[in-house]
Amino acid sequence: MAPAPVGISKILWTRFTWRHWCQAPVSSFLLLLILALGVATFFSIRLANRAAVLSFQNFAGLITSQSDGIITAPAGALSESVLPELRQRLGRSPVTLVPVLEASAVAPTLDAHQTFGPRPTFQLLGLDLISLANLSRPSDGLQRWFADSDPTQDSGKDFLSVLDRSDSVFISPALARRDQLKTGSRLSLVINARPVELRVAGLIPDDPRQPAAPVNLMILDLPALQHLTAREGQLDRVELVLPEGPQRAAQWAHLQQRLQPPGDAGPARWRLSSPAERRSAASTMTQAFRLNLTILSLLALLVGLYLVFQGLEGAVVRRRNEIAVLRSIGVTSRQIQRMWLMEAATIGLVGGLLGLGLGWLGAQGAVRMVGLTVNALYYATSVETAPFDLPEAILALFLAVLASILAGVRPARTAANTPPAQIASRAGAASDPPGRFLGRPGIGGILLILGIGLTWFPPLHLAGGTRVPVAAYAAALCWIFSAGIFSGSLLAGMGRLCQRLKPGSVTLRLASSQLRSPSGRHRLAVASLVCAVGMTAGMAILVGSFDTTMRGWIARTFQADLYISSDGAQTASSDSRIPPETWKAVAAHPAVERVNLIQVMPLEINGVSTLVVGNHMDFFRDYAHPAWVSAPANDDVFRPDRNAAQVLVSESFAARFNVRRGDTVTVPTPGGPRTVTVAGIFSDYGNERGSLLLEQEQFSKWFETDLAVSLILAVRPGQDPETLRAELRAAHPGLGIFTSSYLRGEALRIFRQTFAVTYALELIGLVVAVAGLAFTLASLLWERRTDLNTLRALGLRRGELAGAAAWEGALMAAAGTIAGLAVSLALGWLLIYRINLQTFGWTLQTDRPWGQLAALSLLVLASATLTGGIVGRWAARLPAEREE
Amino acid sequence: MKHPPPPITAQRTGPILAGLVLASWLFSLAAGAGELPATTAEGFAIPQPGREFIFPRDHGSHPEFAVEWWYITGHLTGSGDERFGFQATFFRRALKTSGGTNLPPESAFGHEQIYLAHMALVNKSTGDFRYQERLNRNGWDAAAATDTLDVRNGNWYLRRMATNAPDAEAFELHATIGADIDFQLRLAPGKPPVIFGSNGVSRKAAEPSAASHYLTFPRMAVSGTLALGEVLRTVTGEAWMDHEISSSQLGKDQVGWDWLSLQLLDGRNLMAYRMRRTDGTTDPYSTVAWVDLQNRARHTGPDQFQWTILKRWHSPKTGADYPALVRLEAVNPATGRTEQFLVEPEVADQELAGATGGVAYWEGACTVRDGQQKLIGRAYMELTGYAASLRGKF
Repeated sequence: MAPAPVGISKILWTRFTWRHWCQAPVSSFLLLLILALGVATFFSIRLANRAAVLSFQNFAGLITSQSDGIITAPAGALSESVLPELRQRLGRSPVTLVPVLEASAVAPTLDAHQTFGPRPTFQLLGLDLISLANLSRPSDGLQRWFADSDPTQDSGKDFLSVLDRSDSVFISPALARRDQLKTGSRLSLVINARPVELRVAGLIPDDPRQPAAPVNLMILDLPALQHLTAREGQLDRVELVLPEGPQRAAQWAHLQQRLQPPGDAGPARWRLSSPAERRSAASTMTQAFRLNLTILSLLALLVGLYLVFQGLEGAVVRRRNEIAVLRSIGVTSRQIQRMWLMEAATIGLVGGLLGLGLGWLGAQGAVRMVGLTVNALYYATSVETAPFDLPEAILALFLAVLASILAGVRPARTAANTPPAQIASRAGAASDPPGRFLGRPGIGGILLILGIGLTWFPPLHLAGGTRVPVAAYAAALCWIFSAGIFSGSLLAGMGRLCQRLKPGSVTLRLASSQLRSPSGRHRLAVASLVCAVGMTAGMAILVGSFDTTMRGWIARTFQADLYISSDGAQTASSDSRIPPETWKAVAAHPAVERVNLIQVMPLEINGVSTLVVGNHMDFFRDYAHPAWVSAPANDDVFRPDRNAAQVLVSESFAARFNVRRGDTVTVPTPGGPRTVTVAGIFSDYGNERGSLLLEQEQFSKWFETDLAVSLILAVRPGQDPETLRAELRAAHPGLGIFTSSYLRGEALRIFRQTFAVTYALELIGLVVAVAGLAFTLASLLWERRTDLNTLRALGLRRGELAGAAAWEGALMAAAGTIAGLAVSLALGWLLIYRINLQTFGWTLQTDRPWGQLAALSLLVLASATLTGGIVGRWAARLPAEREE
Repeated sequence: MKHPPPPITAQRTGPILAGLVLASWLFSLAAGAGELPATTAEGFAIPQPGREFIFPRDHGSHPEFAVEWWYITGHLTGSGDERFGFQATFFRRALKTSGGTNLPPESAFGHEQIYLAHMALVNKSTGDFRYQERLNRNGWDAAAATDTLDVRNGNWYLRRMATNAPDAEAFELHATIGADIDFQLRLAPGKPPVIFGSNGVSRKAAEPSAASHYLTFPRMAVSGTLALGEVLRTVTGEAWMDHEISSSQLGKDQVGWDWLSLQLLDGRNLMAYRMRRTDGTTDPYSTVAWVDLQNRARHTGPDQFQWTILKRWHSPKTGADYPALVRLEAVNPATGRTEQFLVEPEVADQELAGATGGVAYWEGACTVRDGQQKLIGRAYMELTGYAASLRGKF
């Protein structure tokens, strides 16, 4: 075949493709918009995830620029006595050591009514304000901190006054603007259950080379924060900063070697890690959560791509005659194919670009929802915006274009195979409908069985304790496809049934005649609806089961009378603590019968992050009524005198660390590693990192702390918890005190909040699927427009034609919904017993929210019928095909 | 004015008192004239005449005084024709009195003392000048011993090496600048220190409390190593070390000072400072001290010397115009003859811009020539109060 003249592609593009687009601007735009919606969903979730991970920021990094290394304790706090030791080890190395202490604080609640759950939290950063001067490179040093503090004072005096009092705090310029604070302003906060009043000593200076200080960041002199948090002598970490210069790399290698913990001299007192390692630890923590979101968001993209396929197929049909003419005037089939692929790629590109814009907007909303979940479950974030990210954008655009081209391959081949006009005939045109494989129930059966087989596979274990249920996801895919295939048979069955019933309605008869032997296009549309309905209903079953399980767990677990924590510190990420003098005073109240003291230490076991919890085991048994996955063999674990390093672990801990009852676990502590024995495994939905429960006294000794995270009180018989609550609240204004009934409601509310993103994603998937149905109907009716004209000539009214289309849509929706619901039951099982269990280690009690499923079905049916009617009305107005 | 002004203290106070550190204590200067009190209003000791110095204890820190520094400047030669000048300065400034005890409370993050330090190196052959400043509170990363010389700030330190023989006394200095300059030097005084001033007290201004104990090793033998990047070389040379102890040094109308340490090829050493007043005149408490081969000092007043600035250098960084060629004509009290010293920087830009302390000053290696342009020695010159004055702030 001789190569075509260079200009032919251009001519084909402008005279053919572009002209068609211009002729039907609304539907072209809709197609682009739906693809854009799919891309946008994917892109916005990726951006929001990214922002949530990035927001695990090293706040100190804002001040120190990028540190080169970080020293932390193997477990718990780092003693400041390591500082001279580190300096000595480093010898002559020109390393700046930046000790850091972190704390959080909230504004006190002024009225008696406290609300449970996350409140705006301030991050308090304790830094040596004097040695900060050594970090700025290059800069005008400390004056940036003290320059604006008070113009009437000289800087030196101010400097001393800052160091001399422990209530001096530097706030972000953003907070100063928001709350109209200035130097000398007073600021009331609750730190570790203690109300304190701080004095604004100045603003955190803006540095053009660094991002602006977040509004909730506050900086105090390190010893002042130690004092305020009752953590004298303690640090959270030491950041190492090397001077700039060509020797930097060599210095870092030297430093790593110097800081190797001594091999022989007892337990390691510190651990050296790079900032990258710390960031990746944070991102590992939320990996499973983010992966699930990404997979959900891909669903919307996939359905969008299916629409591109549909749209292109429809276009091939509509332009078949023109293609035939082109062929007859010598345009080769290869050129035709190239033209269609270019069209597909253009749709992908334009839709993708549009999607990037929409996605970026969506990300600003999604990031708050993702941030909410991350905050509640993992670590403190202050994320409010999701910045645009070029690599993510390129990925989304690449996916959109690539998948559009893939979706265009088949339509392009169909177009290329169009015979020249001379031999074209309508019968030949319909001979190659898409989605023919969907008409083979045998394949459906094979996929079904393959899916069943896949459910036996264990999850894939990644570093950092993340488990990915790859096989289970594959099984879900098999089942969805399988249900899609069977739904075609169902549609045909429904069509035949309607015919046999010989309904009086002419519209229904017309509709069912189309469905008796459904075209590939019918089957595809229904299959995509099955996919959307199945996934949505499956998730609804998962969430419903989660909800039921949580309600049971909450009712069981919150059986004591009062729950106390530092005010505003009710998230997993809070580092607020109750100091011993406070909890001792509370415990000594005459109305208190029994007390459980909860202490928590987040740490890493074998490089996997988890929580070690100190508590009174007998109180846990009596008031939390644990549901046992593996019950203790005897009562020893509950008796402090016989406990002997026995622990209880949560189900997620057991799954994360692959331990069973009777196994031992080695826990790092400041005094060296300790070995404990797992006495029992209980169900827990509090956190996904897993918890290891230790008798409180043991915990206190091992981790050298008497700070409590929370207190649980059982009130003496005859005493009123509300009265006690009011009394304690008056005596300790820095405490958040809640009754069990209040807490039960709130815990559930927060739990439901974390599913907000999931709901949003499913809704988008569903909208896209219904839109797909509309597209299918439209192109089917277009193909049949001559028949429609004949029917009108026979006396059918437009309304009746619209009614027939509505019936067609409704029947397709019904078939899709029925098959979708069927597969959703299977998916629900898969989500609960495989995907969720394998990812998070949470066993759930299955609950099918029939009400929700029914509402979902009605919604799909109604919108499909409605769209069918609208499309039918449009089709009834189509002019008859001109005779050639 | 961008930078807080430099201190108006006597001689070498310049950099130390930089900025905030400095500023806070300037308030304490109000000790009245007349009878010399034992302490300042804030309770810091005032140098008293007749003090007997006991070594090595008096090489160490004196926290009962507000301000103290150990100030080393020197000239080094490496392999071939490599020639360097270096400065190593450790300052201590008390933010509050230690409450009767000499020792600050044990704390990793104290705020009784502030330690500022400056390290600088000039390559006389290439003109390359590098410096670094460091500021720390007393505690885990900065301290000064009270029983011997042992002062450190981060990875920089200056300490007396263990020895029983007074003749073999030596100090060890370690300094780094950035990631790639590192010098470790052994400093041997050879002779007992010069004690400047009258009866152990060096006056700076008309106010009698503005005075210091001023101890100097004018010519210490230096040997050690200097690493520039990956290249380590051995170096030898001579250094000047001041140890000055005071609680307040400022005169009311002083804007800055010029200071000189001259090491002459004939073995003699001179120390000179000119306190500059607001009206541009030289304060009567300025001095030229002639140190003989036995480390005895003879002081002469401003009527016995003439300090002429022949050339200036404009700093592009701070905009200050520093003297760049100085003629000192001074009457030698031993001979009664006037001698002429032409002091010229070896490298024009040896300015420490004061990023950390907030005060810019010039401290640099110089050559010394006589009236016939013959090279007769080496010097270090310090110039403060040119970038900005403290006046107007108070």
